[in-house]
Amino acid sequence: MPSEERGRELISIPMTVEVPYRFAAGKYMTKFLMELRDNGKFYGIRCPVCKRVQMPPRIVCAVCHVQNTEWIELSHEGTLVGFTIMYLPLTDPTTGKPHEPPFSYGSVRLDGSDSVIDHMLNIEPDIDKIRVGMRMKAVLRPREQRVGDLSDIVYFDPISQ
Amino acid sequence: MPENFGDDVFEVAQRIVAHSRYYAGRMGSFFFTRLRDEKKILGVRCDKCNRVLWPPRSTCGRCFSELSEENLVEIGPEGTLEAFTLVTYCEPIHPRQAPFVYGIIRLDRADTGIVHFIGGLDFEKAKIGMRVRPVFAETRRGNILDIDHFEPL
Amino acid sequence: MKRNVAIIGGGQTYHAARRHDVNQIEMVNEAVRAALADARMTIDEIDTVLVGNMEFFEGTHMTDCWLVDGTGAYGKPGLKITTGGTVGATIVCAGAHHVASGLFDKVLCIGFEKQEEGDTGAILSAVAHPLYGRSMAGAAVGYFAMMGTSYMAAWGAREEHSAMVAVKARQNARKNKYAHLKLDITVEDVLNSRMLAYPIRMLDMCPASNGACAMILTDEKTAVDRCRKPIWIRAMDTAHNEQFELDWRDVTTRKPIFSKVSAGRLYKRLGVEQPSEYFDVFEIYEPATWAELVWYEDLGLCRPGEGFMLIEEHKTEMDGPIPVNPSGGVLSTNCIGASAMLRVWEAALQIRGDAGEHQVPRDVRRALATAYGGTNWTVLTALSSKKDD
Repeated sequence: MPSEERGRELISIPMTVEVPYRFAAGKYMTKFLMELRDNGKFYGIRCPVCKRVQMPPRIVCAVCHVQNTEWIELSHEGTLVGFTIMYLPLTDPTTGKPHEPPFSYGSVRLDGSDSVIDHMLNIEPDIDKIRVGMRMKAVLRPREQRVGDLSDIVYFDPISQ
Repeated sequence: MPENFGDDVFEVAQRIVAHSRYYAGRMGSFFFTRLRDEKKILGVRCDKCNRVLWPPRSTCGRCFSELSEENLVEIGPEGTLEAFTLVTYCEPIHPRQAPFVYGIIRLDRADTGIVHFIGGLDFEKAKIGMRVRPVFAETRRGNILDIDHFEPL
Repeated sequence: MKRNVAIIGGGQTYHAARRHDVNQIEMVNEAVRAALADARMTIDEIDTVLVGNMEFFEGTHMTDCWLVDGTGAYGKPGLKITTGGTVGATIVCAGAHHVASGLFDKVLCIGFEKQEEGDTGAILSAVAHPLYGRSMAGAAVGYFAMMGTSYMAAWGAREEHSAMVAVKARQNARKNKYAHLKLDITVEDVLNSRMLAYPIRMLDMCPASNGACAMILTDEKTAVDRCRKPIWIRAMDTAHNEQFELDWRDVTTRKPIFSKVSAGRLYKRLGVEQPSEYFDVFEIYEPATWAELVWYEDLGLCRPGEGFMLIEEHKTEMDGPIPVNPSGGVLSTNCIGASAMLRVWEAALQIRGDAGEHQVPRDVRRALATAYGGTNWTVLTALSSKKDD
């Protein structure tokens, strides 16, 4: 698309940079992702000093600078701490697949965890239907579709009280 | 949950695709439009340093003088090969299929070189100091490949 | 500080959605020449050049190298820094350290972003952890939207409060000739604009700007000899957060929130008891309207949960008792690599009395500039008209 300034053409050159990567998970993340993939379980890890349960599990507690040691199996249930209704399309950069708006998206703190997970919410995108503090439950894909990634969770379902 | 992690290794292959659009800027726009429309190659003269620079630019890096349209000068089209190599391996990012020769050409009247492909020659016969001329592309779009390659005189 | 550090000059580009007329080198050069002219210095006098932007946002690498013609760094020592949204202030921090150390006297600091040239969506997704976050990565607007719903649920604020922040920013920007978005809008206009991610609307959002900012930092002797009114960097504080912890969107979290932690450390160092009285102007980095309300609280300008009352009572207007972002802030201009530096520079202009139409109508002795990046990384810069005040 030509640009110009005072009758003078301004040149621009399009270019696509495509870079393949290969990421290694490391010991702790490997265990986390494999437990999710193979057994449908969420694992956090607790710091021996501050007792914080971190998810995903990591080797060192960033606050205390000591090795995290105690693996804790976490519930699939949790509490919604924040949410939004997206009116903009969101594309999964790893697959190129778009999530069509509007859709509900939020942040859930699983019971027992100090960390939160961001994910899709299986709630109608209507602000009267979503509330901070709602109880939610993770819904996983069937075993044969799980690959060891956050997308092994399909979404969070509201738990009817 | 045991401390023993075994030999399990988890790796994930991903890619990042980024679409960019680079603006040539004030002096770059002059360069590319003259190249595309007239098959002329422009450099820019810094009077303070008494040097002719390619590619044309708005500031001389050495003395920080501001350079503008009136400092543009035609360079080449012929030049001298200052360095070259034969690329024999393939990478997805390469603009041409290996094997290809590319090198640094000092166009006549310029003080800096231009990196480009060298074609129409037997690699064994390539020599530093060879005289070369540009071969322009049939269809030119206002980018550096409006010169298809340089060939020996 | 081992040695005192002063800002003796600065410059910025006219920030815009499109700068087709310049390439990255030329755009940076505009800010550099403006800064040198303002400081009445030549490039030859500069000892070192520090450059920062968002990593790969323009689809180019090694910006410290390939921008040399524009930055004036030929033959000089220098560094390139990328720390996300905080980078503009991190560069100032690095510059201050260079001077304070005694190893350099005159440092040129540059922050820039030519956002139209790169693919910010694709590159931003690369910030998310490849194994744990990338497939579900939300957009920045989504994250701040979640902060908004958390804030409203916790404190009873309403969407109108976000709109009030947006209106203040846009009206202030109309008095800032360099700002990108200058809009004569009302709260009603904001509430009628298109919803992007509930509760954030189109007129609540910051723009994607092309622009650069440059500043010159020097030692005390140079500042006193060369500058009519040097602005002193009295203290800086930086804090980074953990990778996976996304709690900063939950306003009720009991985890350390680094904007608050950093402010606490800085205030202790300077002996600040009442920040709203100690500082005359605040230039804060507000990536979203809700973040500005949270900043009010994190900086101790009001009690937790009362940020929305400050905006409702117009306390943070240009002529209010606690002026915040007279420049229009990030909501008006967001060339990310420069945004945090613009906060420091705009704060300096206020102290110098040179902010033109957007100069706050009071005597400005001290100002605080903040920077925000990633998962609540923070850089704070305290400026003063006197080196020991």
